[in-house]
Amino acid sequence: MSDDGRTDPVLDCPAEETPDGQELITAAMRWHFSPRTGSPFWLERAATLDFDPLTDVKSFDDLRLFPNIVNELRDVRVEELIPRGLAPDDLYGVYESGGTTGAPKRVICTTDWMDRWLAFSQRHLDARGCPRGVNWLALMPDGPHIFGAALREGAKRSGGILFTVDMDPRWVKKCIAEGRGEDAARYADHLATQAGFLLETQDIGVMITTPPLLQRLAQDDRMVELINEKVRYIQWGGAHMDADTRHLFGTEVFPGVQLQGAYGSTMILGGSLERIDPPAEDVCVFDPFAPYISFSVIDPATGETVPYGERGQVVMNHVSKAMLLPNNLERDTAVRMRPPEGQMGDSVADVSPVATFDDQAVIEGVY
Amino acid sequence: MPRPAGVVTEPVSEVAAAPPVHLDAFGPNGPYRARNRMTVPDVTGAPLAELSIVPPLFVQRGIAALRSADPLPPEQRAEALERAGRLFATATVGGLDPDSYRHLVSRCSGLPISVVRAATGIVAEAAQQASATVLQARPQAAAGQWRDPSTRAGAAVWTRRGNVFAVHAAGNHPGVHALWLEALALGYRVIVRPSRREPFTPHRLVAALREAGFADDHVALTATDHTVADTVIAGADLSLVYGGDDVVRKYGGHNTVLPQGPGRAKILLTGADWRTHLDVIVDSVADEGGTACINATAVLVEGGAAEAAAVADALAGRLAAIPSLPPQDPDAVLPVQPLAAARAVEAYLLRSARGATAHLGGDGIVDDLGDGSAVLRPAVFRLDRADAPQTGVELGFPCVWVAPWTRADGIAPLRESLVLTAITDDEQLVERLVDEPTISNVYVGDHPTYWMRPGLPHDRYLAEFLMRTKTVLRD
Repeated sequence: MSDDGRTDPVLDCPAEETPDGQELITAAMRWHFSPRTGSPFWLERAATLDFDPLTDVKSFDDLRLFPNIVNELRDVRVEELIPRGLAPDDLYGVYESGGTTGAPKRVICTTDWMDRWLAFSQRHLDARGCPRGVNWLALMPDGPHIFGAALREGAKRSGGILFTVDMDPRWVKKCIAEGRGEDAARYADHLATQAGFLLETQDIGVMITTPPLLQRLAQDDRMVELINEKVRYIQWGGAHMDADTRHLFGTEVFPGVQLQGAYGSTMILGGSLERIDPPAEDVCVFDPFAPYISFSVIDPATGETVPYGERGQVVMNHVSKAMLLPNNLERDTAVRMRPPEGQMGDSVADVSPVATFDDQAVIEGVY
Repeated sequence: MPRPAGVVTEPVSEVAAAPPVHLDAFGPNGPYRARNRMTVPDVTGAPLAELSIVPPLFVQRGIAALRSADPLPPEQRAEALERAGRLFATATVGGLDPDSYRHLVSRCSGLPISVVRAATGIVAEAAQQASATVLQARPQAAAGQWRDPSTRAGAAVWTRRGNVFAVHAAGNHPGVHALWLEALALGYRVIVRPSRREPFTPHRLVAALREAGFADDHVALTATDHTVADTVIAGADLSLVYGGDDVVRKYGGHNTVLPQGPGRAKILLTGADWRTHLDVIVDSVADEGGTACINATAVLVEGGAAEAAAVADALAGRLAAIPSLPPQDPDAVLPVQPLAAARAVEAYLLRSARGATAHLGGDGIVDDLGDGSAVLRPAVFRLDRADAPQTGVELGFPCVWVAPWTRADGIAPLRESLVLTAITDDEQLVERLVDEPTISNVYVGDHPTYWMRPGLPHDRYLAEFLMRTKTVLRD
């Protein structure tokens, strides 16, 4: 190619188009494992792999050949992650994981990837009938977390003004891990108070927040009243929402508001959005932004894919020009669902953490 | 392990292929069948029911509804409680007649069916008497309501400390649900988080209370995941929480939470005439299947090793004769657990018993019924001194630690007891036991540790925790 392979018809296809999954994978292997375009990180690791990504990785299933490299992203210099084929101004920013399991992991985001993700998100908002030109209120993590950046861009593109409330999820998780649940609750109160000032005084049509904060807002009758009066569309993400909570929000707390779930991770630079199902369908299915982002649901004991309708652990892949983040086993469990026609990989439903009713079997004492 | 001759261990055949029993949550809009349900197994692991597990949002909304509701007037509360007690004991509630309910409780908890039957009566009686019982705790100077003529001159009035009362219930014995009815009698709105070990009783009781006249925003039932349990307490004004030493430690400093910890009931025998009281000692250990907080955990015998050994031998002889039976057998006396749980209890017992002399159960206490469940057979261990730590090891089956005691030991080894039965004629000793703050109830003479009567405090009056006085003065 004339520009040393810096542009590729598949990787650089228009953001409104969806490339074929196998073509995307083949093009991405060529990009990430060619000395002139790949990142130092992947080029160095290519030597340690017992397969050749250029010839052995052609399909979705082949992504499983890769080791899970996400733990290396805690220490690696971020420059090592940038594909050499990118121009300096292609980089949008550097983002980090939540940091719950030790030091945070880092990923890079390009302007091109942000465009693709936002086009996907906007297509979905439009399909849901989410109004354009209204203001957004985001009670979501910003700073090192990619959600904040994506929301800022998303609000702008849909023609609304974005209002934000600062939120540091790492502090909340630290409080909870230290058994300081009351501190986490105080922090939630603090965020809710700030949201209250905005909901009272501003025209908010779209709200983006987490299930725990939505639940905190639902405790306050005035907040519920304001949201029902002003907000037409709530997108939730960043934490699990169980089916009963979703049902109660939709039918009792915010009955006139569109509720839309998002399930993703910084480690895949985005994720999936809740499938638009007829209201009678009492299930929350997430379809990923395939083929760039793809899921499978496996039995962690065997590594085998579980049958449709059964619960397993979620494996996530990100394959784009910006990054290659394959075969990442997440801690979440989910029910494996049939994908929409043409989607690479699985869809997932009822994403949840491991259930606990009691801490452990109690032996001493009669209670 | 050896077992008495003539023991029947064949599992009794179960009600075949009955439709699953649904234990719905009871929220502000009536019963709620959650998408998240837990299968409640019987002692063999076979499914008995589906328990709806609700999320924090459901709990929050339930508590908000309770908080904004007006309680029924006192007379209507008394009538509704009385009616609920009768329904609970005699009627078909939530599709279950009393016998089906008791069978499920017995198969689920492993409690002998006779214990469950007696507990049904205890709960019904407590409901009928709750409104009278609570009055026993009212300070003599306090009027029951502000309209009392005495307030014209200024008078104390007995009032609630809050409006919403939460219960983290225990599942060891249906009788634990007799207590919180007193909160309803006092006008509290009550939210109960059942134990997964036995959710049938609180479900039936809340269903009966609603049928009897308490509204959907007066009493609620919310089974939750462990991680949500604190949401229930955080949202209520006052809470009653059952648990072990960890729960007592966790909530010990909170004046809005009343922890109900281990009972560690004890019997003290002084003098030489204990043989005539053997029935009371055996019953204190084994009545209620040994599963209640009011069962005796330790027996202290005045004298030395020989005196303690004689008591231990006599107890072992009597307890060894109890047959191993499935819990639903009318003659069952001993509790039954899933085999693995029984083995865990056995291992814990044998670890705790290091250094003790076994009189019964030294080789184990598990009697496998062959269907996945096992009887927990009685254990009698002798300790060499009154202050041995094992006297505080309370286990959910007839298990007793026998230790020698002398006047020189004083009352220190008798502290931290829900009930102390003292078979003694030493009035000075009785005086000290009654004065001891960590002993909750003192029975002198031939009275089993499990003796209880409505109107008398179990672990002080619950109303002492629920109520306060305030001065009202009016024109």
